[in-house]
Amino acid sequence: MTGSPLAAAIDISKRFFATQALDAVSFEIHAGEVHALIGENGAGKSTLMKILGGVHRPDSGEIRVDGVPVRYSSPAAALEAGIVVIPQEMRVVPAQSVAENVMLGQVPVRRRFGLLPETDRSELRARAADLVGRLNLDVSVDTPVGRLGYAERQLVMIARALGRNARILVLDEPTAALEAREVERLFDVIESLKRDGVGLVYVSHRLDEVERIADRVTVLRDGRKVGEGGREELSQQDMIVLMTGRDLEQSYHRGGTRIPGDILLRNDDIAVREGEVTGLAGLLGSGTTEMLLRLYGGLPGRRGATGYSSPAQAIGDGIGLVPGERGLGLIMAMTVRENIILPNLDRLKTSVGLDRKAIDKLVTDLMESVDIRPRDPDKTVRELSGGNQQKVIFARWLAGHARVLLLDEPTHGIDVGAKAQVHKLMDAFAGDGGGIVFASSEMEEVMSVSDSVVAMRDGEVVARMTRDGDYTERALRDALGG
Amino acid sequence: MASSQRENGNGVSTFLWNQMPVIALIVLCVIATLLSNRFLSPININNVLMQGAVMTVIAIGMTYVIVCGGFDLSVGSIVALSGCISAMVMLEFGIIPGIVAGIAVGAAVGLLNGLIVTRLDVNPFIATLGTMVMFRGATFLITGGRPISGDEGLPLPFLNFATERLFGIPYLVLFPIAVFIVFHWLLHRTAYGIRVFATGGNTEAAFLAGINVVKVRTSAYVWCGTLAGVGGVMLCSRLQSGQPTAGSFYELTAIAAVVLGGASLFGGEGKLYKSVVGVFIMVVLANALNLANVHSYWQQVAVGVVIVAAAAADRLRHR
Repeated sequence: MTGSPLAAAIDISKRFFATQALDAVSFEIHAGEVHALIGENGAGKSTLMKILGGVHRPDSGEIRVDGVPVRYSSPAAALEAGIVVIPQEMRVVPAQSVAENVMLGQVPVRRRFGLLPETDRSELRARAADLVGRLNLDVSVDTPVGRLGYAERQLVMIARALGRNARILVLDEPTAALEAREVERLFDVIESLKRDGVGLVYVSHRLDEVERIADRVTVLRDGRKVGEGGREELSQQDMIVLMTGRDLEQSYHRGGTRIPGDILLRNDDIAVREGEVTGLAGLLGSGTTEMLLRLYGGLPGRRGATGYSSPAQAIGDGIGLVPGERGLGLIMAMTVRENIILPNLDRLKTSVGLDRKAIDKLVTDLMESVDIRPRDPDKTVRELSGGNQQKVIFARWLAGHARVLLLDEPTHGIDVGAKAQVHKLMDAFAGDGGGIVFASSEMEEVMSVSDSVVAMRDGEVVARMTRDGDYTERALRDALGG
Repeated sequence: MASSQRENGNGVSTFLWNQMPVIALIVLCVIATLLSNRFLSPININNVLMQGAVMTVIAIGMTYVIVCGGFDLSVGSIVALSGCISAMVMLEFGIIPGIVAGIAVGAAVGLLNGLIVTRLDVNPFIATLGTMVMFRGATFLITGGRPISGDEGLPLPFLNFATERLFGIPYLVLFPIAVFIVFHWLLHRTAYGIRVFATGGNTEAAFLAGINVVKVRTSAYVWCGTLAGVGGVMLCSRLQSGQPTAGSFYELTAIAAVVLGGASLFGGEGKLYKSVVGVFIMVVLANALNLANVHSYWQQVAVGVVIVAAAAADRLRHR
C-alpha cells in the first residue's frame, strides 16, 4: 500500500429498521490494487457497496475521494466521482449494439452543416472498439448485446465504466455465473486494469479466487469489520474463521438420529429417502436451484431423470417445492386460504363447487400447527411477513400430505425466530417419515440440519458427505472453493 | 372462494374504495334522475336494460380473460360472425340449430384466440387485434356484406325472444341474469375459478403449484368467445337479422366496463358483478347524456374521460 487512497469510507454506519447493517466500518481503495470484501450473507457487503455507489446514504461516517469528503446523493453523483459499481444483474440494452451499450450516456455528437446535432456514428464505433479492445473482448461492436452471453455482457459493462474514466470499479460476485475459462479472462482484465491504476473492489464468496486476485482483504461479519490484511497475512482458513466466527472442525448435530427408510425420489445425482434431510450445498449460481426444479419437473422441455415433465405430475406423487423466491411460490394477491389449497383443489371439490367446510377446517388446523400469524385465512399473503409467507407454502404441502419437500433457501431473508420455526417444521416432517432436500448457500445451516450433504459447483456435483465421514464445514468449504 | 374478503382491509375508506363502481353507478343514476324526469320512466328503464343486456354477456367473458391476465379485442367481430352464421343456419335448419351454430362458432374462434396466445406465445393484444380484423373480414365474405334476414324474415319465436316479457321483464334482459349466475359460480365458487385467479395473478407460481396454466389461459379465451357468440345471437334476435356490421366497438365498451369494474389489467384481480356494474355505468352515462340532449360527439368525449379516469384511479389505489 503506497500513498494516499483513491477513495476511503470512514466509520460508516447504517441502520435499516431493527438491523444494524453496518457499524463503524472503514474501507480504503488504492490505485492499482484489488481490495476484496468478504463475509457471509447479511454481513453488510451489499450495504457498503450501495453506499459507495451512491444508492444509500450512511447514517454516520463519510466517504472521501482523493482525501476530500464527498456527500453524494445519487448513483449519478458517484459516477461523477469516478466510482462505478458492476452489479450482478447486467444493466444493458439487449436490442442495441455493443458500441451503443458501451457509449450509453456519452454518445459523441457532431453538427451537420455546423448546425443540426446528430450521433457521430464513426466516432461512436471507434471509441467503443478501442475500449472493447482493451478488454480482449473479441466481438464486433455492431453485435446486438442481446446475442452475447453473460460473460461478454459483463465485459461490456466494464468497458462502459472505462469509457467514463472510472477510477474505482466495484465488482459484485463477478464470477458467480462464469465458466472457468471466462473467469480466467476476467482475471486478465482485472490485472490490466490494475496496471492502468484503477482501484478495484472485489466482492465474492469464493475464497480461492480472493486468495488469487486480491492484494488486500477486508472481512465483515454482522455489520462489523472483523479483519483486514494483505494477501500474505490472511490464509483462506483465517478468512473462514473471521467470516463465520466459528471453529470449523466441529461436527454439527441436529436432534436425534433417524434411520433413513426407502428411497422416495431420485435422479442421477440425488436420492431422497424416508426420514432423511439431504443438504444441497452450493454458492450463488452453483446450480442448486436448477437441480431442485429438475427433480420437480419445473423446467419445461427438460425432463429430469425423475421423469416428471410438469410440476403437476410431481405433486401427484407427493412432492412439493418451496421456491427460493417467495414470489415464485405464492400468488401475492390471493388469500392465505386460497394459497394453501391451490395445489390441493381436486381433493376439495364437490359436484357443486368447493367443500367449504372441509377447506375451512383444513386451513384453520394448518394455520394453527404451522403457526401462521395473524390467524386470518382471508388476509392476502402480500400482507404477511416473509417468515409467515414461507409457512404458508409449507402449509400448502402439508395439506396435500406431501412425502418429499424440495426446499430452496427456505430461510433466506427471514428473521432468526422464523428461521428456527422453519427448522422445526423440517424436523417434524422428516420425523414423520418425509424426505427433504434442503438447498442453501449457508454452510453452517446446511451442515446442521442435514443428514448428508451433496455439494454443487458450476452445475456439477463436486462432493458428497455423510455424517459417518468427514462431515465438517471445512471439508464442505474446500469442496465448494469458498 | 375468490372471496368477498379478497380486498378486505380496515375501515370505511377501504370499503368505499372497493365499492367505488357501485357508488359511481348510484351517483350517476341520481344525477340522471335530477337532470331528467324521464330517466326513471318505465320506457327508459326498459331501454337501459335492453341496451345493457348484450354487453353484460360479453363483459362477463371479457372478465374471465382479463382476470386470467389476457386481453381480447376480437369480441365485437365475433358478435357479428356468430350472429350472421346463426341467422343463416336458422333460415336453413330451424331455430335450435341456428342458436347452437352461433354459439359454437363463438366457442371455436375463442379457442383459436386461446391457442394463438398460449401455443404460439403471441402477445394477446396483437393476437386478438389480428383475429378481430380476420373475423370481421370472414363475416363480410360469408354474407357478401348484406344483412341476413331471409325473404320472410327470421322465425317469429326467435324474434319474440327480444320483445316478449315474463312478469313484465323482457326475456332478453332475464337471460343475462341466468348467464351471470352460472359464470359467477364458476369464477368465484369453484376450483377452476381459483385456478383462473392464480394463473392471472402469477403464472409462474401457478405453474409451480401444479396448475396447467396453458389450459387455464386457453379456457378463458374459449369462455370469452362463447359468450361473445351468445351475445351475437341475442343481438341477432334484437335486430331481427344477422348484421355483418354489428358489434363494432363492442370490444372497447366491454374492456372499458371491466376496467371500470376495477379488474386489474395485469390479471389476478376482479369481480364479475363489478364488471356488470361497469357495463351499466357505460349504458346509463350514454343514456343520461342523451336525455340531457348532449350532442353525441360530446358524449363520446365524456365516455372517454370516464374510462381514463377509472384506469387512473385504479393505478392510484395500487400505489
